[in-house]
Amino acid sequence: MAVSVAPQAPAATAKGTRRSKRGGMAIAERRAGLLFVAPYLAFFLILQLAALVFAFWVSFHHYDLLALDNPFVGLRNYARLTINEDFLIAMRNTTEYAIVVVILQTVFALLLAVLLDSKIKGRNFFRSTWYTPSIASSVVISMIFLYVYHPTGLLNSILGLVGIHTTEAYLQSTTWALPAIMFLNIWTTAPTFMLMFLAALQDIPKEIYEASSVDGASAARRLFSITIPLLRPIIFLVVSLGIIGCFQIFDQAFIMTHGGPLKATLTVALLIYQNLFNDTGTVGVACAEAIVLGVIIFALTLISRRVIDTKIEY
Amino acid sequence: MAGGLAEVEPEINAPIAVASMTGRRERREGGDSTERVNQLEVIVRYALYIVITLFLFVPFVMTVLSSFKTSAEVIAFPPTFLPSVWHPENYLSVLTQINGFPRMVFNSFFVTLVVVALNLFFDSLVGYAFARLEFPFKKTLFAIMIATMVIPGFVFIVPRYIMLLNAHVVDTYFAFMVLYFVQPAYILLMTQFFKSIPRDLEEAAIVDGMGWFGIFWKIILPLARPALLATGILTFAGMWNNFLDWIIYMQSPNMQNIQLGLATFRGAYQNQWNLIMAGAVLAILPILIVYIAGQRYFVRGIATTGMK
Repeated sequence: MAVSVAPQAPAATAKGTRRSKRGGMAIAERRAGLLFVAPYLAFFLILQLAALVFAFWVSFHHYDLLALDNPFVGLRNYARLTINEDFLIAMRNTTEYAIVVVILQTVFALLLAVLLDSKIKGRNFFRSTWYTPSIASSVVISMIFLYVYHPTGLLNSILGLVGIHTTEAYLQSTTWALPAIMFLNIWTTAPTFMLMFLAALQDIPKEIYEASSVDGASAARRLFSITIPLLRPIIFLVVSLGIIGCFQIFDQAFIMTHGGPLKATLTVALLIYQNLFNDTGTVGVACAEAIVLGVIIFALTLISRRVIDTKIEY
Repeated sequence: MAGGLAEVEPEINAPIAVASMTGRRERREGGDSTERVNQLEVIVRYALYIVITLFLFVPFVMTVLSSFKTSAEVIAFPPTFLPSVWHPENYLSVLTQINGFPRMVFNSFFVTLVVVALNLFFDSLVGYAFARLEFPFKKTLFAIMIATMVIPGFVFIVPRYIMLLNAHVVDTYFAFMVLYFVQPAYILLMTQFFKSIPRDLEEAAIVDGMGWFGIFWKIILPLARPALLATGILTFAGMWNNFLDWIIYMQSPNMQNIQLGLATFRGAYQNQWNLIMAGAVLAILPILIVYIAGQRYFVRGIATTGMK
């Protein structure tokens, strides 16, 4: 029965052909398909959908991990965020951090990719070494930069070599701690995005450059009027991934400064963690904070799509 | 370290035929003066490349060198470049002085390898269904998968923590298997890969009456080596470097991975710079080896998924 060719009109597509050949086997295919995607379906239903619904549910309750009864409080957890000083500080720090890091890491990554997208000798060597910061874990990077930012660490040693003598303790300074973490993350993330830009650059047809080169366009002109417009989809991807990552900055702030000094590096993610584990009865608040953070990230991603997509029409 | 990376390089794909701008101008204009300008351009370019290399790579070099110094020498003023006396025994001290270090290494390897195995199987199985099989709600489910990929992970942390707590898998290895047995980004990667292979082989197998799982297992998977390697390497990197999940879902001291252990050690012994640096080197070593060995796939995977 499986092989019997159904006397239907032959379909044009390969899929159609297979269908008609297999006739009743379509049922087996459907069954196999559903069985094969079952792992993802389970993941989606439990760890995404149910978790998301549960997150909202918890955010509407005064939730305590140890309590038996968690009373419904409506929007109170959300309302309190607007007057919670820690949350406002964390939100400001996180936003500041995200704006600076997303912009600079995207520009730096693009610069690195453009530099690598040429026939220069040793190109692969440069790509490998430039990429190294991206393979190290957040903990390893944090350890390295604890040493870099130490009063007599690598940064001040290098500054000393060029005649600037300072023993500034960057991570203990309310002025420098947040910029120090910004710098470290630009340094680590830019090489990842460099690879994405590089792959996209290599997909740009070379004829486009040939033509512009004959027209006498300068290298800078080519970059701004050909390369960047053509890279728009990938720029959008890099910016959205940047936004998603930056607004959830946790590891480095947790390991290096614990949010200090004087909450100068307190981020929303750090606050969520503290509300979940350090205090009892603030789990609902933690959920509300996470949902607000999620909504902000979502909105900013949409806005960045709009800006990047409609920007230029050459 | 740099030499090692360079040696692996010839493997890299690189069908990059970007004719250099300088080369073209040379051809068009010729003449000595242009050539001199080009030489200057090349020198400036290389200077820039070297500055960037130093900028991105020197902290690693200094970390490795620091791991052989005494803790006082690491932060000595004025600084030293090479250790005045080499102390390779720092690495032995890491094993003895960081509490439970062997257990951390085991935890890291065990969880990483199990999660990699789960993802190799399930991501490719699901990816195959999305790429090749017709079943109800396929398009909807695929669209959901893409859409939910942008939900920030922190939204899930509290509910998942409570769910795992109630299921009594917090503080056990099962937590990672539950949370990471499939990863949508790599399902997507596998789906895209399967869509790119021709159907001929499957058609023949279908005519032979082979079952769908047989086709997937015996015919499709052996062809999927490059995509499986990308998925495996990127999952390895993600799990090996994971810090956040360990600090949230694991609570007892013997359930730390090497990352969490290193951060905890530093918290307790702020002045043991040489050991902290040696620990950092040990924590990066496995991932560096995986990266060097599978660089080709690593690079491609990142380019397609945007994950690291």
